[in-house]
Amino acid sequence: MNLHRLEEIRPKIGALEGMPAVPAIVLPLTAMLRLPPDQVDVDAVIELVSYDGTIAAHCLRMANSPLFGRRNTETVRSAVMVLGLKRIEAILLGCCLNRIVPPDKWALDPVTFWRHSLGCALVSSKMAKLIGYPDPDKAYLAGLLHDLGILVNTLACTENFRKCIHAARDGRVALHRSEEEHLGFTHCHSGKMLAEHWHFSGDVTDVIEFHHDIAALSGKPLVSLVHLSDLLCRLRDLGYGYYEAMGVDLAGEAAWATLVEHFPALTNLDLARLTMDIDGSMEDIVAIVDAVFKP
Amino acid sequence: MAELATARAVTGRDTEDLSDPAYLKIRDVIYRISGIYHPEEKLYLLASRCARRMRAVNAKTPSEYLDHLTVRGGREEELRLLLNEITIGETYMFRSQAQLEMLRSVILPQIIQTKSAIGFKRLRLWSAGCSTGEEPYTLAMFLLEESEKMLAGWTFDILATDLNDKSLAAAKAGIYGEYALRSTTEVLRKKYFRPYDGKQLEATNQLKSLIRFDRANLNDDSKMTFLKGMDVIFCCNVLIYFDQGSKHKVVQHFYSNLLPGGYLFLGHAESLYQVDDRFHLVHSPGAIGYWKPSIGYTGGGKP
Repeated sequence: MNLHRLEEIRPKIGALEGMPAVPAIVLPLTAMLRLPPDQVDVDAVIELVSYDGTIAAHCLRMANSPLFGRRNTETVRSAVMVLGLKRIEAILLGCCLNRIVPPDKWALDPVTFWRHSLGCALVSSKMAKLIGYPDPDKAYLAGLLHDLGILVNTLACTENFRKCIHAARDGRVALHRSEEEHLGFTHCHSGKMLAEHWHFSGDVTDVIEFHHDIAALSGKPLVSLVHLSDLLCRLRDLGYGYYEAMGVDLAGEAAWATLVEHFPALTNLDLARLTMDIDGSMEDIVAIVDAVFKP
Repeated sequence: MAELATARAVTGRDTEDLSDPAYLKIRDVIYRISGIYHPEEKLYLLASRCARRMRAVNAKTPSEYLDHLTVRGGREEELRLLLNEITIGETYMFRSQAQLEMLRSVILPQIIQTKSAIGFKRLRLWSAGCSTGEEPYTLAMFLLEESEKMLAGWTFDILATDLNDKSLAAAKAGIYGEYALRSTTEVLRKKYFRPYDGKQLEATNQLKSLIRFDRANLNDDSKMTFLKGMDVIFCCNVLIYFDQGSKHKVVQHFYSNLLPGGYLFLGHAESLYQVDDRFHLVHSPGAIGYWKPSIGYTGGGKP
């Protein structure tokens, strides 16, 4: 890693502090939605959604989309009921994170980025439930935010990051490999800086920092879990928007072995079925992301 | 609440009441028998397929229909009829782009590396259950195109088998209409086909000569034992018609038919879970292949 170049972006992360509303809405909301479903205060969620006109409009539009039968949903309350809390959370986080990046700075298509993040969130929580990981909602959040560093790189070194993306696409290699070569550090390093700056929990920060670091996986089941979900998403049309030339035996990955140590149920996981589940979720993911990004 | 909202949202799309738990049970029966899986979001597809069969057997509710599939007389026949509904639709050339891409960027480079090392530049592919021939002709075109690139200097042959004489005859004739050729580019049509009887196209002799068509029953042990030295086997939407026991047997044969490091491809939504755990499930963007480990593979990272 090129420490010098990484440190150059630290002041720029400090400058993100004034950005609108990110920790202000995201943290209380995710805390609220992390409660068991029967304890979530739906009125408080509705209030939070109503508070922001754009977000409310996104929710209404999605509730009225063909995926949900084009019913006539006119109030935020009924939109929340139709969509369910998980989708509301995804829309909210999408809107908030999207706002910190000005439209002309995006190097990776924001739709692609958000589909990948949301896909990884869904797969992480699905896999967590299947193997008996005690906190599937934390897995969801960690999956959703694992690539936070991509936003940092987009903002802090726009031009160079654009080069990384092009090089990765042309060489059909993983993005972090291309970052190592062209930036000297990866979105894992820069993401960790922002996560600490925003006082994310240690587990989630670990996922952001280590999800591509095979050597640092041992003893960190959540990191291993998100590492595998990330791989699986990139192998199912939920990657960075290009074809990575790779064939992966997931059960042969180091992360798999780490996870099996903690959760033996993983050895009985029907991976083919999980993969087909992910394919089945595509429609839903696309709809949520379109609701946030399509004008 | 989230679950409730989701269920309501999904049922809004179709007339069938998808919240009926019988659909989940039918889904699991289908999965256990055929390896074809309908995720939650695709249950409406399963429901619409069931709806046709429910009308045919005059079942009023999904759970009554579940009885037809599990406890009533003629249940095996009903399962077969439902599977026919589920896998309906003719096939066409270049249908599984993701599988071909995996072949090009992952599998062939591995095989080329291994076989070049011992100076054995020959490739064998098998389309098991080739139906009317769309798959083997696609593979033949694919290999011929690659023979100008990474397969330069290689020889290859494709074995195409099916149980159905009529399908095999059609496959040998190699005459196709617009539907079968819908994903075949103009360049490839010109290169590998000639006009036939107005609107149709016939495969050229060059293409036909690469494929050996043969009638074979995958359940026939004596025949299966002799098909050795395969690099890649395609067996799409065929095993779904086998019960667990014979499926297990056929897949064991496939395993020994393949060379070490070879791959087996199944249909889009099929899986080998709990059928044969010697195969490794290998993911590539959009495709899943079942890999027979190379000699000396001990796990750890990419094959």
